[in-house]
Amino acid sequence: MLDGLKERIFKAAKIHQSIGIIVPMNNYSDLSEAMFSYMLDDNADIWIYLMITKSYDTMMKRFNGLAEHKNIKFIDCISRAAGITRNDKGCVYIDSPVMLEKMIIEIMHIFHECKPDVSKYLILDSISALMIYNNPETVKEFFQHLINKSRAENMHSISIVLEEELNEYMNRIIFLNDKIIKVKESFI
Amino acid sequence: MKKKLPIVLYLVITYHVPTTQKKGNRRDMQETEVRSSGQVEKCTIGIEELDTQLNGGIPTGSTVLVVGSSGSGKTTLCMQYLINGAKKGERGVFFTITEPLFKLTKNIEGFKFYDKKLVETGMVNLIDLRIISERLGLDAEKYTVEDASALLDVLRDIAEELDVKRLVMDSITALCYRLQTREMIRDFIFKLGTSLAAMKCTTLLTSEVPPRTFKYSQYEIEEFISDGIIFLGDVERRGDLIRTLQIVKMRGTSHSRTKFAMNISTDRGIELLPLLKSE
Ligand SMILES: Nc1ncnc2c1ncn2[C@@H]1O[C@H](COP(=O)(O)OP(=O)(O)O)[C@@H](O)[C@H]1O
Ligand SMILES: [Mg+2]
Repeated sequence: MLDGLKERIFKAAKIHQSIGIIVPMNNYSDLSEAMFSYMLDDNADIWIYLMITKSYDTMMKRFNGLAEHKNIKFIDCISRAAGITRNDKGCVYIDSPVMLEKMIIEIMHIFHECKPDVSKYLILDSISALMIYNNPETVKEFFQHLINKSRAENMHSISIVLEEELNEYMNRIIFLNDKIIKVKESFI
Repeated sequence: MKKKLPIVLYLVITYHVPTTQKKGNRRDMQETEVRSSGQVEKCTIGIEELDTQLNGGIPTGSTVLVVGSSGSGKTTLCMQYLINGAKKGERGVFFTITEPLFKLTKNIEGFKFYDKKLVETGMVNLIDLRIISERLGLDAEKYTVEDASALLDVLRDIAEELDVKRLVMDSITALCYRLQTREMIRDFIFKLGTSLAAMKCTTLLTSEVPPRTFKYSQYEIEEFISDGIIFLGDVERRGDLIRTLQIVKMRGTSHSRTKFAMNISTDRGIELLPLLKSE
């Protein structure tokens, strides 16, 4: 059912270093479904899922098989602030969504640990959520830094923006990507 | 043309090099180094980004002040420096004044970079300065000129005996407190620095300052007399504090003055990334 969406995104992610996905709120869960179904079937590549407002725990409950999957790592920026102190092998916890430098340090560390010949993908969920917690200029600088690092380290990034939350600032950031995909009902 | 020396004699001469250098002052030494290698000899801290910013590390023999408020990461940085050195075969000594040894060890054991073997084999020596002062029969609170001189001799002897290439004094603030006049402080730091420089020992002195102040030391003398200053601070971002590190000065090398975001983790100790613009 979501095959069209899956194909479009991952074909683009393979070809381009960085892609931006603009998704209407109504289709966000389809997008999520499509992405995880792709990642769970993929045993060749390394994935980092950076989430700003979702917790690792929620993801584990929603998608079966995630905890056991060796090639998907999570970065959770919300649980610590909510007072959750658990430790998990598949997840790095960051104290606050304003700790952007730490996010970059952790991403680079995970990617440096893996074999040089595997493909590396980062999913940023989402730029809109990052904007809630940070100054737009800081987010832009963070994103530029990330894009530069991805080119240097040959990793691919997929950044999500909610269509309803698009504003002038976010437009400027999302267009730093090599390719933009707008999710429409017709894909799905 | 120089005559080739017999190998035995050559070894004896190299062996004696440190002794002859003891007489030279710091400037002479740096000049010779520049001439011989075209570049100043460096002592790496072992924190990748920091060494890069220092163009390879701290010039060997320097005295560097590591400044910050309580909890800013001074002790951790100094320990990482000593342990990384020891892993490369450079012996080090850590003099603690503010924290007792058991507490220091307990904190540092939490980090993955810590290796108990390095302490057991004497590559990293942890020494409580208060115990030394006690054994010397010095007053715990205030040192006289003679006391200071006796302590200085002991510190030099230890450094020489152990042949250390890295020395940490944590904190110089606590030591300065015991030295009663500005002259005594100046004299002590100067003499210690000069002797250690002659031994090619690179020294870190920690300096404790109140949070969010633009001061690098309690008595001001420490900062003027040191060759370098590394400042550990923080910036507020939407109510959360981000740790920062900045190289304020470093004689004998070019360096950036970029402010870095500093991360302290159990697994990797101190790591840096250029600080993003805040508000
Ligand atoms: N094992 C550890 N893992 C991660 N962080 C630690 C660990 N031990 C200490 N820290 C952090 O390092 C901070 C700095 O400690 P420390 O180096 O002792 O500061 P200072 O010497 O400047 O007072 C502590 O406040 C703590 O947050
Ligand atoms: Mg300390």
